Amino acid sequence: MGQLLSFLWLSLLSICVFSSSTSAADYHEQLNLRPLPQSALLASFNFRSNTSVSEFEKGNFRFFPRSLGQILQHAGTRELHLRFSLGRWDAESWGARPWDGAREGGTGVELWAWLEADTDKEADHKWLTLTNALSGLFCASLNFIDGTRTTRPVMSFQPEGDHSTTTNMHLLYGVLPHEVVCTENLTPFLKLLPCKGKAGIASLLDGHKLFDASWQSMAIDIRPICPLDGECVLQIEQTIDMVLDIDRSKRPRDNPIPRPPAGHDLPCDTSKPYHSHDTCFPADYTAHQDWSLTQIFGKTMKGTCPLADPAVPALCLQVPESRSVFVSEGVREKKNPDRVSRCFDIPPSTHLEMVLPTPDDSASISVTPEAPLLYAERSFTGHGQERGGVQTILRNPSPDTEVEFIYMESLPWFMRIYLHTMEARVAGQSHANKSLIQQVYYRPAVDRARGTQLEVRMRVPADSTVFLTYDFEKSILRYTEYPPDANRGFDVAAAVITILDPHQERQGSVSGRFAAYTLRTTSLLCSLPTPDFSMPYNVIIFTSTAIALAFGGIFNILVRRFVAADEGPEAGLAVVLGRLKGRLMGLVKGAVKR
Amino acid sequence: MPRLLASALQLRRDPRMLKLPPYLSLLCILAGVAWLFLLPLDQYSRRTYISENALLPGQVHTYFGGSDQNVFRAYKHEANELVGKSNAEFNDKLEPIIKGIGLKTARQNFTYHAAGQTFSGENLYAILQAPRGDATEAIVLVAAWENVKGETNRNGIPLALTLLRYFKRWSLWSKDIILLITPDSIAGPQAWVDAYHDAHDPARVSSLPLKSGLLQGAIAIDYAQEGRFDSVHIVYDGVNGQLPNLDLINSIVNIAGGQMGIGVALQEMWHHDNGYPDRLRTMLRGMLKQGLGLASGPHSSFIPYHVDAVTLRPFGEGWQDEMALGRVVEGSFRSLNNLLEHLHQSFFFYLLMQRERFVSIGTYLPSAMAVAINFTIMAIALWVKSGQPAEVTTPKSKTETPAPATAERDLFLPLGVVTLIQSLAIIPLYLFNHVPESALTPLFLAFTLLNTLLPPTLAHLLATSNTTLQQYHLIQSFSLLLLGMFLSSLATLNFSLALITGLLAAPLSFVRPYRSTAAKVAVSVLLNAVSPTAVVLAAAAYWGTDVTTVLREAAVGWHVCGTYSPVVVYPRHAQ
Repeated sequence: MGQLLSFLWLSLLSICVFSSSTSAADYHEQLNLRPLPQSALLASFNFRSNTSVSEFEKGNFRFFPRSLGQILQHAGTRELHLRFSLGRWDAESWGARPWDGAREGGTGVELWAWLEADTDKEADHKWLTLTNALSGLFCASLNFIDGTRTTRPVMSFQPEGDHSTTTNMHLLYGVLPHEVVCTENLTPFLKLLPCKGKAGIASLLDGHKLFDASWQSMAIDIRPICPLDGECVLQIEQTIDMVLDIDRSKRPRDNPIPRPPAGHDLPCDTSKPYHSHDTCFPADYTAHQDWSLTQIFGKTMKGTCPLADPAVPALCLQVPESRSVFVSEGVREKKNPDRVSRCFDIPPSTHLEMVLPTPDDSASISVTPEAPLLYAERSFTGHGQERGGVQTILRNPSPDTEVEFIYMESLPWFMRIYLHTMEARVAGQSHANKSLIQQVYYRPAVDRARGTQLEVRMRVPADSTVFLTYDFEKSILRYTEYPPDANRGFDVAAAVITILDPHQERQGSVSGRFAAYTLRTTSLLCSLPTPDFSMPYNVIIFTSTAIALAFGGIFNILVRRFVAADEGPEAGLAVVLGRLKGRLMGLVKGAVKR
Repeated sequence: MPRLLASALQLRRDPRMLKLPPYLSLLCILAGVAWLFLLPLDQYSRRTYISENALLPGQVHTYFGGSDQNVFRAYKHEANELVGKSNAEFNDKLEPIIKGIGLKTARQNFTYHAAGQTFSGENLYAILQAPRGDATEAIVLVAAWENVKGETNRNGIPLALTLLRYFKRWSLWSKDIILLITPDSIAGPQAWVDAYHDAHDPARVSSLPLKSGLLQGAIAIDYAQEGRFDSVHIVYDGVNGQLPNLDLINSIVNIAGGQMGIGVALQEMWHHDNGYPDRLRTMLRGMLKQGLGLASGPHSSFIPYHVDAVTLRPFGEGWQDEMALGRVVEGSFRSLNNLLEHLHQSFFFYLLMQRERFVSIGTYLPSAMAVAINFTIMAIALWVKSGQPAEVTTPKSKTETPAPATAERDLFLPLGVVTLIQSLAIIPLYLFNHVPESALTPLFLAFTLLNTLLPPTLAHLLATSNTTLQQYHLIQSFSLLLLGMFLSSLATLNFSLALITGLLAAPLSFVRPYRSTAAKVAVSVLLNAVSPTAVVLAAAAYWGTDVTTVLREAAVGWHVCGTYSPVVVYPRHAQ
């Protein structure tokens, strides 16, 4: 009896242990598809897995990728965010960004991490280790994030995870705006997933389609999460967001050239009086709204990842309830109560195909996107190679709510900004409005050692547009400091705009608020004076030299009088001797007289 | 050696030496002109070549055509309905069409005042965002509603729209493509480019609500001609005689001529047999355009901002249709799209004499320099001459060292006169740019009269205030020195202007105080013949325009485009 009881206990215990371990280490994945206006389609892939901190520290990785885990342990990283982005989000047509902008970066590669270190120097050292290791892991030039490209933001970024207040954490932020994101970065990204790219939603990911997207962002976020009751877990979240052009994606891969369609295939506006067999006013751009998963991604979805949590539906679609969707056999559609989205239960070994025919009414093509909290657009002002200016146009579309945010720029050292010229002006007013800028954090650049860091806490009143401008001076680089293709100019990283949540207070952060929405401007191309040893440069130098020589000669002739040596007064030793002789003679004569 | 030096120095004092400079000066002028006429020869000019390898012109297949022609016909119907309508009306009509293509559009208002007239209008532009790109770079396609001759761009506007619709389908663009539709060819593009670079006056030109990245190139379509065409005319002159990078022109020549089999003409040379006379004529026409420095098309305004731009104008009767021009533009845009860097490799200073033949600055510069040097030589000679005592001293016995034969120079009067005369030029500059158009001709006549009367008056004044011969020499010396200096520096910026001015001012080198009345009259007639006013009159008569038009163009150039180059020094002084 006692034996039986103890067995029962044991088995009960083991069940408990097992179940607790599954709750601490789990994995789920989800793909969200959302048609956007102008025949675009947003595909959001999300993969999330956990591991308990104690297991992580012991080196027991289950879903957590070992390669990344070891780097984090080695570099003392507590929280890490890595972004690879390409293209731009067209907020005017597509509305608010996915994940409220929290899972995207500016063009190129962006990395920020909280490192545990006692001193700044130690943090820098760990950061160097981290960037170099990640560079190898992701086949990206992250090792080029050196001192000049690293900043320590004060207000803009806040840790997402739960950190104990006792540890000494340093936030470091680096960005490479010129880095071109491509397939070599996708492959290591997929390798971190438990099912790699073999099954589940990741089987849809393909470099050709991903990098043909109008906008794409790959993100890796690692953060410790400590629930109130239970053990801390380390969470890794991998996200890929992409906006595909439906027209472009539907072109067959073996014939991607957009040749003009045959005349009779062209959708025409037949109401025009001149419409005929050879004259065709093209019908509205919002044609071609029918698509299928195979057309868009080039293949069907290979079942679900067997390691993923079956409770989380792998595929969700955000289209109005009235739009009809056809899916493969065995897949069950669940419409969500919000009437604009539905999810699909997919049996593990189904090859999923989904077809959306053109709906009858245009209203049910897509859900109207919600407007973002703020529109931002940044551009250069001025011309020439000596000075320039930056202008950011910030528009608050809300009719009644003011938006408060932190605007952060990390500029290269060769753009020397004039902080006194920074001003914010409401559109329609001629003079600057001092009350718009509330707080400025500025860390000036040091030549060749660190870049400028500028964080501005400011607000945009309801229903208004604000111009934030400042001027800068361009430095002249040493000729060895120019990169190859120097005449292209230098990429300036995107500005990060973190909108603060007016309702939620946050203890311990400088801004005192949580971030409600994040957006990034596009990057800029700054052209510096570039030495060019080709024709014009040579010509100007040569002619200037010729003119200078001629001027020198003429000037000489004008101010000097040339005489031949035999004409002028005598010079040299003979003169000195003669003078000496004369003086001696004088002395002698004087002495004789006396 | 010392003997040689000594004899050279002896030669220096030889009175024959002072007789030499005028001949040397004349030789310089003749050499400069002769050099210019040598340039079209094969030995002195070079074949053009593509310097920037990234351009790869004519290496891509162009697919524009087929059913795009149906769309073009429809757009042309739309454009034809708009002929004669107001600026705002056609923008209202075109904007929905562009939005229908799926592009973002914006408008910009501008108003310029020049010669008592108001040039105002509204630009419409659209941005095709590079499908996978960031807003860092852009190329511009310009279609003006009216070309420089005042003809309606009936085919150019529909072609630009059709091209944009076609470009939208490609995903390979690495740069944004901006379509700019302006009401006219000069003020509209200028307002837009100024505002794009924030160099505009906000009171006259409104700011752009929508922007993209750095402009890397621009191509304007000027297709007013109806029906099929034979060849394409490339207009490349910029404001103030600045030119676009030669690589851009070469690429288009390569694409149009080499790939599409469309002929290319330059400088309105509709027929070019590649012989010496045609080459020379092309070159001289180019130089004249460059010397005038006026805007010659919608592309001209882009060039001062270091945006390389040209205008394409089809001409002639042939069998090429609109789609062929579209394919030329497509090919050129594909080439520009390939660029990783800003165009910087090839030449910015060149003279084209045939579509595949050019001379670069190194070859042609000596011509203008020789002309400029003649003034400097004469200036030095006069300076030396002025330093000599009034009477030629008879050489004394050789045993005695001669006293330095230098007279004191009285500099106040000469410097004062030269400064005054040079600064007087501000008055006509201000007046001509600020009076209304109707007053231009009377003012011009008054100024011509004044210009004719001023030198004799001044001469008389100087004569009565017993000015010495030395002071006359110094006045002329300083004037010529200034002229030589300015012209040689101008030659590096605007070769043609420097050369033309130099040749017109050449008689000034040889003017002497004459005693006989006949000589005085002859010289003053000659000087008046080459004076700026006479040249303007002669030029206006030669090209069959009236003076008012010329002056209005100049005033518009000054106010709208910031043309500064015609404001060159043109000294005149009494004989």
